[in-house]
Amino acid sequence: MILFEVFLNGLLLGGMYGLIALGLNLQYGVARILNLAYGEFFIGACFIAFFTITGPWQLNPLLSLFVSAPIAFAMNWLIYQYLMIPLIQRAPDQDALDADVVLVTFGLLFVFQGLALVNWSGDLRGYSFLSVPVHLVGAIMALNRLLAFLGACALAVALFLVLRHTRFGSALRAITIDPVAASLVGVDVRKFSALAFAAGGALAAASGMLVSTFISFSSTTGVEYTLKALIVVIMAGVGRVTGTLAAGLLLGVVESLGGYLVDPGLTIAINFALFMLVLLVRPTGLFTRA
Amino acid sequence: MDRRTFVKGSAAVVGASTLPHRVYAQAAAPDKIRFGYSITQSGPLGPGAESTSISQYRLWQKRVNDAGGVMLKKFNKRVPIDFVAYDDQGKPDELLKLTERLIQQDRVDMILGPYATHMNLASAPIITKYEYPVIMTTATTTKTYTLGPKWPYAFWNISQPEESTQPLSQALAQLKKEGKISGRVAVVNVALEYGVEMSAAFVEAAKKDGLEVVLNKSYPLGSADLQPLLREVMASNPDAFLAMSYPPDTFMLTEQAQIVGFNPKFMYVAIGGVFPTYKGKFGNKVNGILAYGGIDPGAPGMDEYAKAHLAVLNKPYEAGAVNVYSALQVTQQAIETVGEIDRKKIRDVIASATFQTVWGELKYVNQRNANPWAVGQWQNGEIVGLHPSNKAGAKPLLFPKPAWS
Repeated sequence: MILFEVFLNGLLLGGMYGLIALGLNLQYGVARILNLAYGEFFIGACFIAFFTITGPWQLNPLLSLFVSAPIAFAMNWLIYQYLMIPLIQRAPDQDALDADVVLVTFGLLFVFQGLALVNWSGDLRGYSFLSVPVHLVGAIMALNRLLAFLGACALAVALFLVLRHTRFGSALRAITIDPVAASLVGVDVRKFSALAFAAGGALAAASGMLVSTFISFSSTTGVEYTLKALIVVIMAGVGRVTGTLAAGLLLGVVESLGGYLVDPGLTIAINFALFMLVLLVRPTGLFTRA
Repeated sequence: MDRRTFVKGSAAVVGASTLPHRVYAQAAAPDKIRFGYSITQSGPLGPGAESTSISQYRLWQKRVNDAGGVMLKKFNKRVPIDFVAYDDQGKPDELLKLTERLIQQDRVDMILGPYATHMNLASAPIITKYEYPVIMTTATTTKTYTLGPKWPYAFWNISQPEESTQPLSQALAQLKKEGKISGRVAVVNVALEYGVEMSAAFVEAAKKDGLEVVLNKSYPLGSADLQPLLREVMASNPDAFLAMSYPPDTFMLTEQAQIVGFNPKFMYVAIGGVFPTYKGKFGNKVNGILAYGGIDPGAPGMDEYAKAHLAVLNKPYEAGAVNVYSALQVTQQAIETVGEIDRKKIRDVIASATFQTVWGELKYVNQRNANPWAVGQWQNGEIVGLHPSNKAGAKPLLFPKPAWS
């Protein structure tokens, strides 16, 4: 019975990993920008949720999504248009661009982190929201973790449907496969990449809001989530949206079961062992077509 | 601390050096006392450093300067405090470079301590080499017994692993003797120097006191889900649960214990358990939880300190930071006793005198705080000190911990 519970909680944990990584995969897979400042938008949304529930009005933190997601969308769109486009235009090839992008977004990370430190100090924060047990066939889960899991599934499904069944989605998929060919058939690559990048930022904010209901965070912890997201993205395969959720789930379940059955001290080691195994066996990711 | 004041300060130094040399010969009072520190501002330990140490440094500077500064008897003048600060990112090698820089290049008058056990340990040899007395406020390690005497300029302010865990073990042994518990204890620790040493010290004490350690496991820093670990703890059916934890996992263990309905009669969390944000998150459910450190809310000067904390830092004080503030008070009192910046004499005063602080009376024996608060507990929504029980303001143990609900 406990094993079933550990498995379920592994699923929830994996949903969280997938959730965190969805937006990054959109940014890296479609817009081809490895955004190291990704986690800062995640943390920004955590803070907005925190102030929504602990502030003078004590509102439901879910409402903060209506503020944090649009802000993150707009900021990421601006970053793409005014910071990334000049880099893209002057880079001779994708490798040179990757190097520039990593340096610039690394710098952005520190700019945002510095602003957060000045405004919100470095204190550890956390709040209680839906911190109640949910019983399912004898197993116990936390409602806030379950909510984040359901959010992850809903977002992944929505994203999948958009990519499969809309004109916008077809354009994004075309860009993912080959940006040059996409532009030859009339896709406005710059416009759609900017939108994908901005949507990735909004997803970072959405995941931050959902995850903030059960983790504690501070101005400087954003980079940890960028790293976690990056592992999931590389495991899933760059540009694979539903694969991202699946890879996250796999990581979560293996981590939970491994931690419970072998030793709790090994959870993070198991995570990285799985990551390395995937890199060795399928370097382009689990869910890419061969 | 600010770059601007630092730049101004260096401009003043450059300006002063163009004056005729006899100005120096008269030994005029310095126009400020420059304190330097290198501390972790970014990285996983940044939040802890901010709330425990850096905020106290700022508060102290403000309060002392508002009162005119530190009294230097030799010049019969109050002199304000100035800061030069760097971010060591939690890396010992950075800390060493920056400390060297503070001493050699910035030529600060005094040094304040870094944050976290391993950083305090890294700092001790270098400040001893340059003979800068520093009170280390965030180090809990048995190494202070063996290596401490080699570093005569380093002082150790908080309770060490044995002092911190023996009272817990003794309290549990007493409860067992009274027939209130059967003596089954589960202990988990974060896989860092602090967690490992605390856990080892506790297990040793527990065995000596006739307790049964039914589970002893460690988990990595940054764990995202501790519910499986808690399930193992519950399966071992303990009366007492002790977590030698760091802040993020202290929060997570407390929340997840409520989710799975784990209600030990005796529950201890280490670092983070006394944070105001801990109570902010859990409200009155914190009552009965024991934590590392402790304070006497009724200590002399505490009221003024609490008020100033709220006014300057815009938040209530936290029990885990009071010791840091007390170290700053000791430093100030030692400088004022000496009456000038003579670091050798300041060191000797710290090593021998008795000081009145917000953390109670402080005295260092072999450079270690002779009687630090070691165990605290939330009682009626406030953190109070339990051990050492002979300290002024010590309260009796609240047992059993009220169930969550």
